[in-house]
Amino acid sequence: MNSIILTEDEKDVLQELMNVAYGNATAVIAEMLDAFASLSIPNIKVMQVSELMERFNQLKDSSYFFSTQAFMGEFNGESAFFIDEESANNLAKHLELESIEDLDDAILELTNVLTSSLTTRLAQEMDTEVSFALPSISKVPLNEIANVDTFLQYSQVIVIDTDLNFEDQMIHGKIFILTKDESIQWLRERIHTILEALI
Amino acid sequence: MKYLVTDDSKLARLSLVKSLKTHVQDAEIFQATNGAEAVEIVKEHKPDIVFLDLTMPVMDGYEALPKILEAYPNAKIVVISADIQEKAKEKVIALGAQLHVQKPINADKMQDILDIL
Repeated sequence: MNSIILTEDEKDVLQELMNVAYGNATAVIAEMLDAFASLSIPNIKVMQVSELMERFNQLKDSSYFFSTQAFMGEFNGESAFFIDEESANNLAKHLELESIEDLDDAILELTNVLTSSLTTRLAQEMDTEVSFALPSISKVPLNEIANVDTFLQYSQVIVIDTDLNFEDQMIHGKIFILTKDESIQWLRERIHTILEALI
Repeated sequence: MKYLVTDDSKLARLSLVKSLKTHVQDAEIFQATNGAEAVEIVKEHKPDIVFLDLTMPVMDGYEALPKILEAYPNAKIVVISADIQEKAKEKVIALGAQLHVQKPINADKMQDILDIL
């Protein structure tokens, strides 16, 4: 498949839909953690997986917990949530967790709630439905992240990345939504339908 | 009546303007893409109602809100945001906004907003 270039209008629509979806998901997480999160503007880019791996490598030098959750439907792909070790420890402190197992469980639950509410709302804004696979969690040194199977199935992806930022608790995370070629085409058609309805 | 629609997203501005025009005829509608532009437009045109997004580049809604009221205290500010956390709502009301409404806006929601104002 040829490289896809999103127009400014297409990016704008996707960014705004993501903004609405992320606001919704953040409110759910904020309530769950009893904390206030600041929202950032999502970045939208179509990229090759090799470029995505570089992006992951730039995140930080320390180990990250990362968890992923696949979603299926007309709009399908995978969401990935990254939280660095310091933030994970701060999360454990904030939730008064006592063991590493509890922390893994908390990150899984956080991922589940965050990515499923985010993707569900995003799908809802695009007038479609998605279903989910169970999230999985790994703790991977970043120099090994390129070997993670889950990302290698993609060739070209739309990457929507945004930050989860609880400043007072010093908990910061990064969320990526990855969609594959066929879903990108579907997404573009949907975006055009949304735009045409407004003009 | 004069209205100012402030959002960095063209989609959000288009949809808000369309909803507004459903209910208001002969409206003078200005548009800004960030808080700093909004403050300048408020100084020059003194809009009666300002629709203000929160998460924007250059100057966000939290920073722009008091500056808008300082420039034109009679402006009624309606925050239109995806940030629906209770603390975000409390914060903008404390800063002087009349309303906090969840995105996206459609004609029904706009009717409710105009009724309240």
